[in-house]
This record gives sequence, C-alpha cells and structure tokens, in this order.
Amino acid sequence: METDISPFETEMNRGFLQVLVLVLLEKNVYGYAMVKQMEEKGYALEENTLYPLLRRLEKKGLIKGEWDISKDRPRKFYLITKEGRDIRAQLLRIWQTQNNILNHLLKENQNV
Amino acid sequence: MSERLENYLEEISHYLGTGKEKQEILTEIKSHIMEKAEREFGEVTESTLERVIDAYGSPRQVAEKYMEDYPIIAPTFRSHLLRYTMILFAFHLGLIILSFFSKTSMAVLPFFYIPRIESFQALFYLPMAFVYDLGLVGIILYFVTQSRKDVRLPWPKLKLNWPKIIESRKTKSKTIPLIFMLLGYAALVWIYLRFGTIFFKTIDFQRTQSLLTPAASKWYSSALLGLVGIAIAAYVIKFFTSSEWVNLLRSACQLVILGIVINRPIENPFVEFIHLDLQILANIIIAIVAIWIAIDFLKSLIILGRRVLIKERRHR
Repeated sequence: METDISPFETEMNRGFLQVLVLVLLEKNVYGYAMVKQMEEKGYALEENTLYPLLRRLEKKGLIKGEWDISKDRPRKFYLITKEGRDIRAQLLRIWQTQNNILNHLLKENQNV
Repeated sequence: MSERLENYLEEISHYLGTGKEKQEILTEIKSHIMEKAEREFGEVTESTLERVIDAYGSPRQVAEKYMEDYPIIAPTFRSHLLRYTMILFAFHLGLIILSFFSKTSMAVLPFFYIPRIESFQALFYLPMAFVYDLGLVGIILYFVTQSRKDVRLPWPKLKLNWPKIIESRKTKSKTIPLIFMLLGYAALVWIYLRFGTIFFKTIDFQRTQSLLTPAASKWYSSALLGLVGIAIAAYVIKFFTSSEWVNLLRSACQLVILGIVINRPIENPFVEFIHLDLQILANIIIAIVAIWIAIDFLKSLIILGRRVLIKERRHR
C-alpha cells in the first residue's frame, strides 16, 4: 500500500508558504490574485490556508493589509513591511543553508 | 447575497466565535468566493457559488485554520488534563467511599460536596463526579493556557509502570482456572441452597450452625454470591475479548453491590453474642474489598483514558 503523502506535504508547506507569501508581497497584491499568480507558476495555493496565514503575518507586523473599496467589490491588498523584509532575508538564508545541507547529504548518500 | 453563500458565511461565523476580527475575515472570504465565481465561471449564480464554496472547504475546517494559534488548552497540557483528572477523581472516589462508611455527607470546600447517597444513586454519582473533575481541571488549564504565560505545572510521578500494568490486564482467561472457579461457585450456591447461608459458626456439616440470623444470612450470602458471580462472568467474557471495558464494568457492578450492602446493614446480624467483635472485623473486610475494587475501577478508567489520549496523539 502506498503511503499517503498529503500530511507530510502539508507539514512541509507550512514553512514554505510563509516564505512564499513574503516573497510574493513585494508588490501590492490581494488574496485571489496571489492564488492565480501561483497557479500560473504551477503551485496550487490552498485558498483557505492562505487567508489565515496572511492574517497571522499581518498581526506579527510582517505585512500590512489595506482594504480597497473603490471598486464594486471590496478587496484587501497586502504589502510586505520593513520588518517583513528583514525576516524574509533571514528565512531565505536559513532555507539556503538547509538546502545546502540536504544537497550535501544526498550527494554523500549517492557515494555510499 | 446568495442564500447558499449567506448560510456558508453564517456557519463559519458560528465556528469563529466572538473574535473582533470576525467580520473582516468573513468579508474577505466572501469577496474571494464572489470573485472566483465570476472570474472562473463567467457569472455569479447559485450554482457557480456552490462550486466555489465546495472547493473552499467545510465551514468548520475553514474556521479552524484561523484558530490554530488559539487552542482552548495548550497541546502540552493535554497529558496534564488526564493525569490531574485521574488524581482528583481518585481523591473524589476516596471521599465517596468514606462517605458510604461514615453514612454522612462530606464537603471539601469550595470544590467537593458529597451528599449521603444510596448505592444506586452512587452509580449515577460516580460518572457525574468524573465529569465534574474533568471540567474543573479543564477550566484551570484553560485559564493557564489563555494567560499565555510560561507556567510550569507540576507533573506528579506516580511511579507506576503502566505499559506493564496494561499488558498484565490483557491476558486472556484460561480454561483450568475457570473450571475450578465454576466448581467452587457451584459448591457455594449448593451450600447456600442447602443450608440457607454460606457463613458458618462451625465447619462441621453434620451439625451446621449459621453464624448469622436467617435474614442476615440471606442478605450477605446473596451479596457475596453476586460479587463472585460477577467476577466469574467477567472472566468468561475475557475469553472472547481483552477489552478494558469488561474490567471497568465488573468493578462498577461490584462497587454497586458493596454499596448496597454498606448502606442497608442488617441490625444484629449475628445469632449470638461472640466475644470477638465480629461486626468491626466484617466492616474492616468489607472496607478492604471496597478499596481494592475501587482501585481496580480507577485503573480501568486510567487505562481507557490513556488509550483515548494515545489515539488522539496518533491522529494529530
């Protein structure tokens, strides 16, 4: 029987999604546009996971949300803050290090 | 607004509780669903909204994702919830047993009040006491969690090897001991039917002399036969299942019988005055048996509680 990958994928995505959103929000974007943007890049962003994450990041001051009510439908646009950029830079460094470690170990495994 | 969407948002709102950000969360979800329906299906109708809503997830699932950071009780305290409840319940059970013997109501202010109860009432009182203890511990842990302070709760080490205890209780019944038990029980029943008692002053069956009056003989012999009968019935059931529920049910039934015996004592049960104060001795024996069964009952509860906790951990 094949092991279900989804719980492991969800766990892995948790951290990835956080960095992804911080990278995406260099430009002023709203939720639905983010989902579409990622869909075009081949990544299915779960909409019901995205909005709670945006809320958490906003509470921590890493992004800033603002409602645009000028159109027929209200939309909340998000943008990264200075603190968000600092955190993002640190997270990307961590991710880079982790990536290097993994690659190194995988290479070692190949030589075994 | 569409009725389907309205109902969906209302249900999410219900699960979100009373947070001040609730309205904003709902507006954002609504805006997303409407936009998706329009962009992906060209129009906002009941059927297109239905499809978008189905893909968005169940209201409970959606609400839960907003509440992940706000557990009612911190996951680290879940083991405390069970252990503290068990300790409190053990104390509670002790008070109930004490209340039976002393035939008075008891109070440990401000938390416990145990009224003077009959054994049948106790059957209902015990689960109620457990739920009360669970609730009391739950409320305390809730406040500790909500305070968001780094509180280190004491972790009483009971020094009990639970895996070993659980394993020992899983052993299946064996035929030879059962045959002896059934033979012994049949002999007891025969003696009771033949002589009207199983409590004798002498063990000379030629000139049998009951230790108790006829009324007391009937009462206490039936109780003893009931206690042993339940134990044997549980042993038989354990041929087919090693479920802890069998042990729990056995102890509960035996506690009820003991409760009845304790609560309805027979006046002057002995046929004649005997120098040794047998009444005190009988009370001590009944108390020891009651405590023994109560401990067994508690063990079963802990084992079943641990199983629930382990299952919960596996699902997480």
